Amino acid sequence: MEQKTTESFIWKPYLITVLFIVLMTIGLRATRDFFDQVNAVLLYLVPVLYSAVRWGRGPAFFTAGIGILAFDFFFVPPVFSFTVSDLRYLISFIVFMSVAGLTAGLASKLRSQIVQARQREASTAALYALSRKITAVSDLEALLAEVVPHISEMLKAQAAVLLPSRVEPMSMEVYPMDAQAWAADEAHVSVAAWVYRHNAIAGRGTKSLREASELYVPLHTDRQVHGVLVISVGDIPLAEMPGLILTAEALSDLVAVAISRVKLASEAKVAQLSAESEKLRTAMLDSLSHELRTPLAAVTGSVTSLLEHESLFTPEDRRELLVTIREGAGRMNRLVGNLLGMVRIESGMLRLNKHWCGVEDIVGVALTQLKDSLQQRVVDVRFDPDLPSVPLDEVLMEQVLINVVSNAVKYSPENSRILIEAGRSGAMLELKVRDEGKGIPAGELQMVFEKFYRGKATSSIPGTGLGLAICKSIVEAHGGRITARSGTGQGTEIVILLPVHMAEGEDGKI
Amino acid sequence: MSLSGAKILIIDDEPQIRKLLRVTLNAHGYDISEAATGQEGVVQATMIRPDLIVLDLGLPDITGMEVLRQIREWAQMPIIILTALDQEQDKVEALDLGADDYVTKPFGMGELLARMRVALRHTAKTQDEPVLRLGGLVIDLSQRLVELHGEKLKLTPTEYDLLKVLAINAGRVMTHKQLLKQVWGGHQYESDSQYLRVYVGHLRKKIEEDPARPKYILTEPGIGYRFAWQEM
Repeated sequence: MEQKTTESFIWKPYLITVLFIVLMTIGLRATRDFFDQVNAVLLYLVPVLYSAVRWGRGPAFFTAGIGILAFDFFFVPPVFSFTVSDLRYLISFIVFMSVAGLTAGLASKLRSQIVQARQREASTAALYALSRKITAVSDLEALLAEVVPHISEMLKAQAAVLLPSRVEPMSMEVYPMDAQAWAADEAHVSVAAWVYRHNAIAGRGTKSLREASELYVPLHTDRQVHGVLVISVGDIPLAEMPGLILTAEALSDLVAVAISRVKLASEAKVAQLSAESEKLRTAMLDSLSHELRTPLAAVTGSVTSLLEHESLFTPEDRRELLVTIREGAGRMNRLVGNLLGMVRIESGMLRLNKHWCGVEDIVGVALTQLKDSLQQRVVDVRFDPDLPSVPLDEVLMEQVLINVVSNAVKYSPENSRILIEAGRSGAMLELKVRDEGKGIPAGELQMVFEKFYRGKATSSIPGTGLGLAICKSIVEAHGGRITARSGTGQGTEIVILLPVHMAEGEDGKI
Repeated sequence: MSLSGAKILIIDDEPQIRKLLRVTLNAHGYDISEAATGQEGVVQATMIRPDLIVLDLGLPDITGMEVLRQIREWAQMPIIILTALDQEQDKVEALDLGADDYVTKPFGMGELLARMRVALRHTAKTQDEPVLRLGGLVIDLSQRLVELHGEKLKLTPTEYDLLKVLAINAGRVMTHKQLLKQVWGGHQYESDSQYLRVYVGHLRKKIEEDPARPKYILTEPGIGYRFAWQEM
């Protein structure tokens, strides 16, 4: 196969030069009275130069050889014989040959420089195109899926990238997946693993495995080796390998940088995420341990007092301690309820069990639940006489109201008023809970709905910062909105908007 | 049958809860038996023939729901469900399977005792009384008359039927399904709780002082309604 291609490659220029010389000789013979022999000999240099520039050194020398023979045969006396009568012609021949040799050399050098320049230009352009393609990609697999076909196309050979497996440290993973067939071959993988470990190029045209039909280039940056680029070069002549290796190395540098960039980016992302969840966890543990321990301390203290010094207490004292225990337990139960709610929301397990409900009904239930904890707040309830039914999950909305109203109690003075209003506002039902408490500074109006956020001015009042976050999730799951309106010292108004109509795809049945 | 001295079977796998119930219910004069698993509970129920069963829904071997089903195959004694789950669906399922009432953990002992008394009273009641007196509300079942603080109330037939069902079952939770079935009878509205809600709203406007904070007809969110029951 190889022989044939080389033969046909070489065969053509020689035929052309022979033809050229023949035609020229015929022409010169026809006009030999007009030209001197010196002119003729110089004209024979033209095909030499041409073939030197066009095909390089070999054809040029060949042209010079047959040119001189033709000149000797047809022009040097005795004509039609290779014999040379005048020895001075020999000098002419030598001069001719030297000129031909020199020009052929120079011309072919020039030619190969041009060819190289063109190749360099092409590969630079290709590298540039590749680098532009890969800077936008931020995912490793997407990056390789983009790069490998590009490399294949550029080098006109199958290519694959092998990366150390994340699962097994000693094995390699092949990218892209459709290159599995040839690149996942055990021999390939073991050579690639060697290249990876030694950070040294191997394969066809290199020091190791010189005769192989693949080229293995390590993908390395200053910091580390990321993987191996495997190119199935086939049986390209060894002489052409250095150029190809250079290109392959340039490509592999580029790919290595891209891989390392993607890796760093994802590492940074992971670091940022874990820092965030770390912060959240700390906040949660802090508030949890505080929020659970405080009522637990009250319960334990009261119980141990009653157990150990029962006789010291009057019946009233005893009753007070028992009420403390009940309150502590109630508070812990509410906390557990909120935590469970948060977990359910966070894990996407929040499922609404919607019925047509009356908001006044839910407000009533919530107020009954909070009966004991209202502590001298006057609750004023005002409903529009014809409130529509609203599709709601009663249990979750009750939790929302309990959280909002207990906040109103918590952040307002005793004997103040809490106003609960409900009315229709377009396609929404508007439910407002207003207190006469401390209020929320304008800058914190939105942040109070964030998980674990506690108002700065009120951080001395116990709380987890979960209540309003849960309310927000529940209200939004209903397709509604919850907002806070306030100003320092003016009290707070929490506004809940809920859609009056069923969302599409719901049928309003139990 | 006196309410005190009634035989109570407690089916719960938590020793602490069993102990709490044993001590408290004993002090109130009940006769207590215990079972720590569902299987044992079913066996005990057949052997002891308790007057009332307190059943925890979360049992280690078979589910409380299964225990309920097995007991209900042959016995009608009241069963009160104890559940730590705040999943309303489970409560509704248990109630529709024939449980009489439920108490959610953590529960106040007063609440459990009240539920038990209501349940025992309903089974003890041998003949229907023609007149129900509930607080300021008097319902004369024979004449279909309702009086509130001595004043006659005008109720539509549906409102009256709804009030009657609730009042006969005073103190006991009624699920949406049970009410729809007993008041409207057929299956026509069985799946429409909005209908029920509207009628409860009308009733409340007529009998409650402050419909926003009802004293008679209480909402059990996600489950149904309960007519408040005072000891008389």
